[in-house]
Amino acid sequence: MTKPIVTCRGVSKTFGSGELVVHALRDVDLNIMQGDFATLAGPSGSGKTTLLNMIGALDKPSSGEVEIDGQPLSGLNKAELSELRLQKIGFVFQAYNLIPVLSAQENIEFVLQLQGVDAAERRKRALEVLAEVGLEGTGHRRPSALSGGQQQRVAVARALVSKPSIVLADEPTANLDSGTSAELVELMSQLNRDLGITFVIGTHDPSVIERSSRHIELLDGRISSDTRI
Amino acid sequence: MIASLAWRNIWRQPTRTSLSIAGMAFTSLLLVFMLSFQFGSYDTMKSSMLKISDGYGQFQVAGYKDDPEISKAITDPGALIADLESLNAVAASTARSTGFTLLANGERSFAAAIVGIDPGNEPKVTTLSTLVSEGRALTTEDEGVVIIGDGLARNLRLKLGDPVTMLGTGMDGSVAADVLEVVGIFKTGMVEVDRQIAQMPLNRFDDAFLMEGAVNTVAVTGDFYDIVNITPVLREIAARHDLIYLDWGEINPGVKSAIALDMTTGMLMYVTLVVVVVFIILNTLYMSVLERTREFGMLLALGMKPSQIGRLVWAEMIFLSLLGSGIGIVLGVAVTGYVQSVGINFEGMDEVLSQWGLPSRMYPNMTPFRVLMGPGAIVGAISLLGIIPYRRTLGLEPVSAMAS
Repeated sequence: MTKPIVTCRGVSKTFGSGELVVHALRDVDLNIMQGDFATLAGPSGSGKTTLLNMIGALDKPSSGEVEIDGQPLSGLNKAELSELRLQKIGFVFQAYNLIPVLSAQENIEFVLQLQGVDAAERRKRALEVLAEVGLEGTGHRRPSALSGGQQQRVAVARALVSKPSIVLADEPTANLDSGTSAELVELMSQLNRDLGITFVIGTHDPSVIERSSRHIELLDGRISSDTRI
Repeated sequence: MIASLAWRNIWRQPTRTSLSIAGMAFTSLLLVFMLSFQFGSYDTMKSSMLKISDGYGQFQVAGYKDDPEISKAITDPGALIADLESLNAVAASTARSTGFTLLANGERSFAAAIVGIDPGNEPKVTTLSTLVSEGRALTTEDEGVVIIGDGLARNLRLKLGDPVTMLGTGMDGSVAADVLEVVGIFKTGMVEVDRQIAQMPLNRFDDAFLMEGAVNTVAVTGDFYDIVNITPVLREIAARHDLIYLDWGEINPGVKSAIALDMTTGMLMYVTLVVVVVFIILNTLYMSVLERTREFGMLLALGMKPSQIGRLVWAEMIFLSLLGSGIGIVLGVAVTGYVQSVGINFEGMDEVLSQWGLPSRMYPNMTPFRVLMGPGAIVGAISLLGIIPYRRTLGLEPVSAMAS
């Protein structure tokens, strides 16, 4: 039996105060299991980005508890949350968010450097993961010299290289054309199948949802459906 | 990692970075030159004025400076001079005595200070002998001769070869009188000196004023700052001989006050310059930090700690200030070095400058302190104020930062 990587218990998140309070999440209970390839969908304002932020330890709930690998997030300070993200979570952003002054390989090695991995091991693992995402030979290029699809592959490689417990992707295909988008989804799906990496992807893209093994639908800050496919 | 990333980050906006560096470099260049020139002028002022007739330091009997009676004398100058000669910093020392006299030529008479000098040693300590514009300086073979300032010569209508009658009070209170031949007329440019001073050989002075080997002053010279640095040693020697030691500021408080006043206004200007430049640069750097808030949010998401991002930003500021100031120092040293070799001629200011014993051509004088003080202040201020963006990064939250 697989264990939960992420557990949300009664998670609510409100923004603002008084009459202007916005309930982004309302009493959400959710378990993300090891090996899940889950998509998180819903209309704008449904709370999917907020939920991804909670799962990614980027934000704290107004009430309820989030645990990552059994570690409750409440009580952790900023530095401890950073450390937890560094060790356990990989992120893929809609806008790639690579560091422009570093080459593709350096971007990937950057996370390992933060972890204190030595230079030789960093280089080895970065080259391996570049090969896994199909970017052999492009490690020396700066992000500005890569296409959008290539940049997103580098972002995926950066998310994977630290061997996180879970990879979170927020609209990873939103800036890509359909062909590149399909390639990226296939890549993530393959990494999930072959390496057992857990993915949670916030998306509107039906082609991504089609490839997922679990689909969670949010509406008005609540989980309206949670389907294993 | 932080250093490498910081270095690359500062070159993201090459134009902006280059302009910031140019601003700091120019200011540093200006500070190197101006501080070296200003302190160089002070050096010239101190050495010129003190070198003419005083020396960089003097030994006297307590109370002589305020009430220079001839009887307040050093009775055994030889022992003191022997002690001084054992000090490496003291290049030369000389004994002298001063009598306040009436000098007369026919029916004309004027009050003047007549200084008995050792013609062998005095030129090693002071430069007055080189400022003789007519005739010659005193020599060790001289006896009943005198050299006088050109103002005094004019007032007494004296010319070379003329006899001048000297009337004063000897050490024992008796009348000191002598007739001396004018062998030289000097012109220092300092009105008071040229109108009131005359010099005669110390041996003859000793006889005329019944000094019995005593002198009023022993003056020392050497490298100006070496002499300043051994002031405590010189004071100790003075105390051993039951004397006091006067440093350059005590010998000539007017110069010290003038320098202090000029330095105060100069420093105010430099501080203003540094503050303005630092805040302009800081503003630019802070803007670049604000522009990258989203990126910092991403770095936080990746697992970088807020303090690491803060150090990254701080390192960028330090690199930039070191680079700008470093270039400024190199350029400043080059420009100042050139001017130091040729000097700057202040044409038309000769008379004003000569009142202070200054030549019309002035030179900057570089020392490590003068070169590093201004640029160091820029680097120091920017490094210190780097706390502002550092603290900002500590307060960043990943979600709000990425949403910015």
